[in-house]
Amino acid sequence: MSKLLRINTKEKTYTFEEAGELAALGGRALTSKMILDEVPATCHPLSKSNKLVIAPGLLGGTPAFNSGRLSVGAKSPLTGGIKESNAGGLVAQKLAKMDIKAVVLEDKPEIDDAFSMLVIKKDSVEFLPADEYAGQGTNATINGLWDKYGKRTAVMCIGQAGEQRLTGASIQLADPKGHAGRACGRGGLGAVMGSKKIKAIVVDDTSADKVPVADPEAFKEANKKWGRLLKDHPVTGQGLPSFGTAILVNIVNEAGALPTKNFREGRFEFAQDISGERMVELINERGGVPTEGCHPGCVIRCSQVYHDKNGKYLTSGFEYETIWGFGSNLLVKDYDEIAMMDAICDDVGVDTIEMAGSLGVAMEGGLIQWGDGQAAIDLLNKIKTGDPLGKIIGNGAAFTGKALGVDRVPVVKNQTIPAYDPRAVKGVGVTYATSPMGADHTAGYSVTANILKVGGDVNPLKKENNIELSKNLQIATAAIDAAGLCLFVAFAVLDSDNGIQLIVDMINARYGLSLTPDDVIALGKSILENENEFNRRAGFTKKDDQLPSFFKDERLPPHNTTWDFTEEELQTAKVS
Amino acid sequence: MGTILFNAFASLQQKLKDKNQEFANVTIQIPHDYTAADLIKDMALAPEDVEAVFINGTVKPFDSILHDGDRIALVPPGTPGPYRVFLGMKNKNNRSGN
Repeated sequence: MSKLLRINTKEKTYTFEEAGELAALGGRALTSKMILDEVPATCHPLSKSNKLVIAPGLLGGTPAFNSGRLSVGAKSPLTGGIKESNAGGLVAQKLAKMDIKAVVLEDKPEIDDAFSMLVIKKDSVEFLPADEYAGQGTNATINGLWDKYGKRTAVMCIGQAGEQRLTGASIQLADPKGHAGRACGRGGLGAVMGSKKIKAIVVDDTSADKVPVADPEAFKEANKKWGRLLKDHPVTGQGLPSFGTAILVNIVNEAGALPTKNFREGRFEFAQDISGERMVELINERGGVPTEGCHPGCVIRCSQVYHDKNGKYLTSGFEYETIWGFGSNLLVKDYDEIAMMDAICDDVGVDTIEMAGSLGVAMEGGLIQWGDGQAAIDLLNKIKTGDPLGKIIGNGAAFTGKALGVDRVPVVKNQTIPAYDPRAVKGVGVTYATSPMGADHTAGYSVTANILKVGGDVNPLKKENNIELSKNLQIATAAIDAAGLCLFVAFAVLDSDNGIQLIVDMINARYGLSLTPDDVIALGKSILENENEFNRRAGFTKKDDQLPSFFKDERLPPHNTTWDFTEEELQTAKVS
Repeated sequence: MGTILFNAFASLQQKLKDKNQEFANVTIQIPHDYTAADLIKDMALAPEDVEAVFINGTVKPFDSILHDGDRIALVPPGTPGPYRVFLGMKNKNNRSGN
């Protein structure tokens, strides 16, 4: 019987309860439903009323390829709205194997209470003091916990930023090698975990059974086709494994959409120095790992291990958005400086995109100079010591903008706009403006063109078709998040007539259901409805579904376009 | 006659390297009525090696005529995610020019 594991962080007690109707949900569908139903929308995100919901997807724990993604939900301390943040690592598959639909952290201890850690096993939870890990970075924490509990356990933890409850704080997950390179980065969920005084969660699935599958033969057949679909596709089979997501640097730069110097220009003079192609050269020269998966069962393998000049491990999971954020956004062209910033963020436990926003605003305000990578590194290093400047940066771009009196702050709903300038890729801009998550590229990071009938000739510089495109992508993304699948599977699904059907076939075989692709799309819609409803209750209006005014007022070279959607037009992109 | 600024990305770089062709910020002389398809052919690339042609930052059909001063980039199949759609690579019949 599927269970919810509720943990009272104040009383240090736990209960397993039957999941009931919630058993039909998974991943983002489950986290967002529970946050809507159980968290008062107007509560303070760091108060005892907020909950942190940790859920594997519907296909979690099964042999389905790329199904090991984890959804973590709460009311966001950064945006004040609902949040689902998504990561790889090992937690999702192990929770699913123990038939735990969700772990829910509730209530909170006193603010000066000591940090605890949780060890979750099949039928029990241990609360243990986390004294030896408190104050440590995420890598030391994960290493220590693996030494103690073994490398077959899954670990998720916060760094010093989460302990300080900074609104840019992430939750970091150990990847299959034990690097803290996988992050639930966006929305400051590390601060929620920190407010509940939980430093780390260890998931030990020893003695757990395999995930039951209602129709093993049908599942095996669908998964075989699924694996072939992913491996045969040029994006998931070649593009991503070869260059990672950093393949986008040159392409987005060519399209004139690579935000440069805090969104002043769409091309960076030194784009080729920070390209995916260059990254792979450096990795190969220095004995790094050019391609690896973020969780077992991944066949896309878009992650990598990046070594420093001396051939020593520096960082992993080095994404396009991070390279943009610490590269062209800050006018930094030194790959090692960018990689160092990524490594610091992973270790102290902060979102790289939010920190890119903070540092851009810090340069805007003259706190450090444009292009000075070392100064940016020094500033990020202040987060772990609790230095007041570190706290300012660690609270994100909007907070930094207020502290420094800067008006050029690239955020929507207080969250930093990522690596695609909305004036030159207007469909992405619609997603930034209207997603219940705040500015978030992954909220529309999925396409099922055939199923959703996204058609026609999309011009990234014009308004036509981009509203419909963004809306459909947001729906499909929500559905993929619910399944627990990696969003990158959408690259292959986009080009296949039977991609969505194969996902549906696997869900049906797993649970003994007879869903259709339409049901899955309906699930995607219902997720957005729940999320928009929470935000409405929290006080959000259409005024919040806007980009900052400088995108309307300033033309973006080289295409010299502006952001020109009206408030009313943007509302039509929303599921209500 | 005229010149263009040429770039090729991702797997195309290795393909051109193997043919001793330059691929980054190369200035190339072109004749009149020279199309993107002609350029792909002259680079000894197969049409299926290229998914999209950027001309001055916008994805254009393969039969587009190139002009003096144009900035051209060739992109192989493999661009991730919605960006193929958002940037106009998908659903544009690049090869026929329709």
